[in-house]
Amino acid sequence: MLHVRNLHAGVDGQEILRGVNLDVELGSVHAIMGPNGSGKSTLASVLAGRDGYEVTAGSVTYATQDLLEMDPEIRARNGIFLAFQYPVEIPGVTMMYFMREAVNAVYRHRGQEELSAGDFLRLARAKIGPLGISPDMLKRAVNAGFSGGEKKRSEIFQMSMLEPTLSILDETDSGLDIDALKVVSRGVNSLRSPARSFLVITHYQRLLNYIVPDHVHVLSQGRIVRSGDRSLALELEKHGYGWIEERAAERVALGA
Amino acid sequence: MPAATERRSLYLERFTDALRRADGEPGWMRRRRERAMERFLTLGVPTRRDEEYKYTNLTALRDARLLLGPARSGGLPIDAPHIPAGQRAVVFAGEPGQVTVRGEPPRGVRVRRLSKVLRTDPPGLETHLAATAQFKDHPLCALNTALFADGVVIESEPGVIAEEPVHVSFGDGLGARHPRVLILARRNSSVRVVERHSGAGAFWRNAVTEIVAEPNARVDHFRAQLDSLDAYHTGVVQASQERDSYVSSFSLSFGAALARNDIGTRLVGSGCECSLDGLFAVRGSQHVDHHTAIDHAMPHCNSHQLYKGVLDDRARGVFNGKIFVRRDAQKTDAVQSNKNLLLSDEAEVNTKPQLEIDANDVRCTHGATIGQLDATAAFYLRSRGISAAHARNILTYAFAADALERIRDASLKEHFESVLLSRFAREEH
Repeated sequence: MLHVRNLHAGVDGQEILRGVNLDVELGSVHAIMGPNGSGKSTLASVLAGRDGYEVTAGSVTYATQDLLEMDPEIRARNGIFLAFQYPVEIPGVTMMYFMREAVNAVYRHRGQEELSAGDFLRLARAKIGPLGISPDMLKRAVNAGFSGGEKKRSEIFQMSMLEPTLSILDETDSGLDIDALKVVSRGVNSLRSPARSFLVITHYQRLLNYIVPDHVHVLSQGRIVRSGDRSLALELEKHGYGWIEERAAERVALGA
Repeated sequence: MPAATERRSLYLERFTDALRRADGEPGWMRRRRERAMERFLTLGVPTRRDEEYKYTNLTALRDARLLLGPARSGGLPIDAPHIPAGQRAVVFAGEPGQVTVRGEPPRGVRVRRLSKVLRTDPPGLETHLAATAQFKDHPLCALNTALFADGVVIESEPGVIAEEPVHVSFGDGLGARHPRVLILARRNSSVRVVERHSGAGAFWRNAVTEIVAEPNARVDHFRAQLDSLDAYHTGVVQASQERDSYVSSFSLSFGAALARNDIGTRLVGSGCECSLDGLFAVRGSQHVDHHTAIDHAMPHCNSHQLYKGVLDDRARGVFNGKIFVRRDAQKTDAVQSNKNLLLSDEAEVNTKPQLEIDANDVRCTHGATIGQLDATAAFYLRSRGISAAHARNILTYAFAADALERIRDASLKEHFESVLLSRFAREEH
């Protein structure tokens, strides 16, 4: 469903992704791990269409379409969702208004009838409960004054409202205590289905105990240097990223 | 543009008309009109050489032909979409000499035509009318004082807390219009007034509102300027506050090709509080200028100011906030803030705090910001499927709506929110 080919991208003329190749098939969960600065968040940003990232080479195909040609909102309407590493605070806009506009934009795109205020509220309440968030959050300004844990839950809430085909979770686990981590993971797992895929970006193996991936990739210096199953994550846990980076350096030295 | 001598004779012609209409007014009022006319003829329409008008070019108003609009025309504006059902006291003020009061005012509040009160009950006006808003250094206030044909007097009886606001609605205009409002809040009373200017066509509205808050009284004044984009709008709101009184002013300015508002209060008793807040949103080649002035003359008074501006296209904005703290005004607490959002590279805003402090035990803070929409927030909205244009509208609305938080009256706040929504958050997919 998602095919990344030889993707080169960067910011301000500095190349960060140096030829990423990745295939995510429908219904699978892929984890992308890597040390700080390896390009994990850049990959997430490029896939979601954030401004300021320049793609210098390569291609990304999403459901047979050229993803890189799409505006961010078109990607979202076509089922791509990015759970932000740092969710943005928007004072003056209530969560309710924001999500209703978003959900209806997606529904319109799919040719579905828009939700009335009442139907929206019923749906939102049903989705918010299991995440351990008070429905009062809907009346609050988007992420404004939310704790770190609340912000991450808010991302998962938004994800469950929009029911994306491909969810990209950018370090959703960072800064979460174990209880919040479990709640967030449960939220993600409840959405897992043969019709949805996930790209779980994380620095730590811990999250993968709760969201068990089908595939694990290690990103280092802008390239995926190793891919494997879940055991790769456990191996990384044992040896640390140094082990991968040394091997990547060797490969570069050998001209691989 | 007519030559100076021709202009002078046109002004005098209009003044003769005004005096004819003013027949039956008390002698003190006639003398004030004469002094005001003299003052206006001496000062003339301000030019940009005047520091107070450095960024606002009023040259167009020097065209005295603006004063030559037909003396009378069509009917009164009767639509008042902003008035919630069940709120009764409504004043419609249209052409000169045409002011009507409809419905019942709130209990304990008298709403009367100014022209009538001047003839039947002038003693109550003498200390306030054309005395609260001083015209000596304000030529446009002087012109209004010389020429106003009618207006409205809103007076709350001592101890009365009015439940509902009084609505004053100024509609279409032709030529020059000089409406006048006097709000008198007697001791321990509380009154709310909503003044709305929304007229079609090309004209000049030059409005003056005077507010008097007696000891421990409260006045909440809301002013919505939604005049046509071909109109010129100049307005003065001047309050005078006695001991322990509270005055709030909210100025919403969306309309007019050129708008200049002078809003001020004098704190002449101790223990007073005031809020002067505002929101302006302009686009195209609109120009809007707010000059505020708070005169802290007595100790233990607080003042708050929050003005927000949204400027698009080639629009221009000006905010100038004066705070005077006189020698006796110890323990003054004055806070001023002006925040502006520029939606286009060609929009421009000039903001200037102006503090003159002669007391030593005071707290005065001021701040001004000029910024653009937060690109990260826009991306966040778009990443959820919301279009770029809609995201921009949502964020602009959020910036502006924050200013409305200062309005405590729920139904008014809702009304202004809907005015704002229709301006910014149009559905764009």
